[in-house]
Amino acid sequence: MDEDEFTREALSYVDSLYGTALRLTRRPADADDLVQDTYLKAFRAASQFRRGSNLKAWLFTILHNTYRNMRRHDGRNPVDVDSDYVDQAPQPATQYSPEQLLTRATLDADLQAALDALPEAFRQAVWLRDVEELSYAEIADVLDVPIGTVMSRISRGRRALFERLQSARISAADEKAADHKMMDDRKKADVV
Amino acid sequence: MSKCRDLDPLFAPYADGDAPLADRASVEAHLAKCPPCRDRVAEQQTVRAALGARRSSLRGCAPGDLRARCAAQAGVSGVRRFTGNRAFIRRWVPLSVAATIVLAIAGVFLFSPNSRVEALATELTLDHMSCFQFAPERLQHVAASSAEHAWLVKQQWDIHVPESSPANQLELLGVRRCGMGIGRVAHILYRWRGQPLSVFIVPRAVRGARPEEPVDTLGHEAVMWSGRDRTYIVLARGQPADLEPVVRYVKAHAQ
Repeated sequence: MDEDEFTREALSYVDSLYGTALRLTRRPADADDLVQDTYLKAFRAASQFRRGSNLKAWLFTILHNTYRNMRRHDGRNPVDVDSDYVDQAPQPATQYSPEQLLTRATLDADLQAALDALPEAFRQAVWLRDVEELSYAEIADVLDVPIGTVMSRISRGRRALFERLQSARISAADEKAADHKMMDDRKKADVV
Repeated sequence: MSKCRDLDPLFAPYADGDAPLADRASVEAHLAKCPPCRDRVAEQQTVRAALGARRSSLRGCAPGDLRARCAAQAGVSGVRRFTGNRAFIRRWVPLSVAATIVLAIAGVFLFSPNSRVEALATELTLDHMSCFQFAPERLQHVAASSAEHAWLVKQQWDIHVPESSPANQLELLGVRRCGMGIGRVAHILYRWRGQPLSVFIVPRAVRGARPEEPVDTLGHEAVMWSGRDRTYIVLARGQPADLEPVVRYVKAHAQ
């Protein structure tokens, strides 16, 4: 890969990096700064990139390191992982089949909300795996944690996501039932 | 139950088809006799499929100007190997984008007329290189009328965009707001004889801009002239004599 190819390929990941930065910072202006810093560092350190390795994963590593430094400078707490979070999460009363859930989960808003509600460490791991399609080993490098931790976070993160989507479905079903009941009540009132 | 807990972290790579062979065998042996864990694996697959199906919408799209700014980082960070004045590039490479812009602005407003023209030409050449470096495959033929309309709607001041000219081997690729520090500048991008060519329109006159004195900067030629409170710059690699017909064409159609 020559310098032109490096630059071209690196810039093809702007959307991915921005989407991830937005999930991390939750503020467009901060995400914007984070992505620009990432590219500045990446271009300056281009000679350190190992040819043949995954450029996308390398950029994500720079992005996450830059984000960690930003947090440190901001004086915010380090990433907080509550490992009991998923086990303690209340079980929904009604179970839905994966197919039903998948249909429901095709609504972006549900997925976005469920993702945003995840603890940060779980969200990062699931996002890098299922949205950005990095391997387990690459995610371990990006997040600077052992690969076993990555597996555990993805497993727990997906489960929490599943449960949140189920809860959303139940709420939607309850709302629909309430709407039907209200309509029925109105009809009865009209008859009286 | 402890077996379920022990195997739990393996369910994700198992569901993805990424578990090593030994782990796979132990998970499958356990799943054969544990329906709750089978459900857990199904949950993993469901969530992965749901996220995968909405991957591009979840990821979203970076703002257009962020792309241009990131592309500009490559220009000032020295990733690209320029064939122009290498000594000049070496002096500028360590500077940050902000410092580059500050210097360029200082050049435009503080230097003598001649130096001001050179500073402006340098600044525009950096923008020219950044814009063409950024996703060149996305630069495709556009009609002048639609480019003019899009510019007016977005930027609120009108420009005349010279149409593609087969006679001059000039193909219009789009109009962007110049990303560098001199403010409101229209950057019209062309492919000329298969090479990048830019026409910049600055909404004010620049003293010292003379078309008969092309500026050689970073291996590019910039031909600059002012008229009716606007300054026009044609910029590309090539000999001034080669650029002459294009300059004539732009003068006739941009003003």
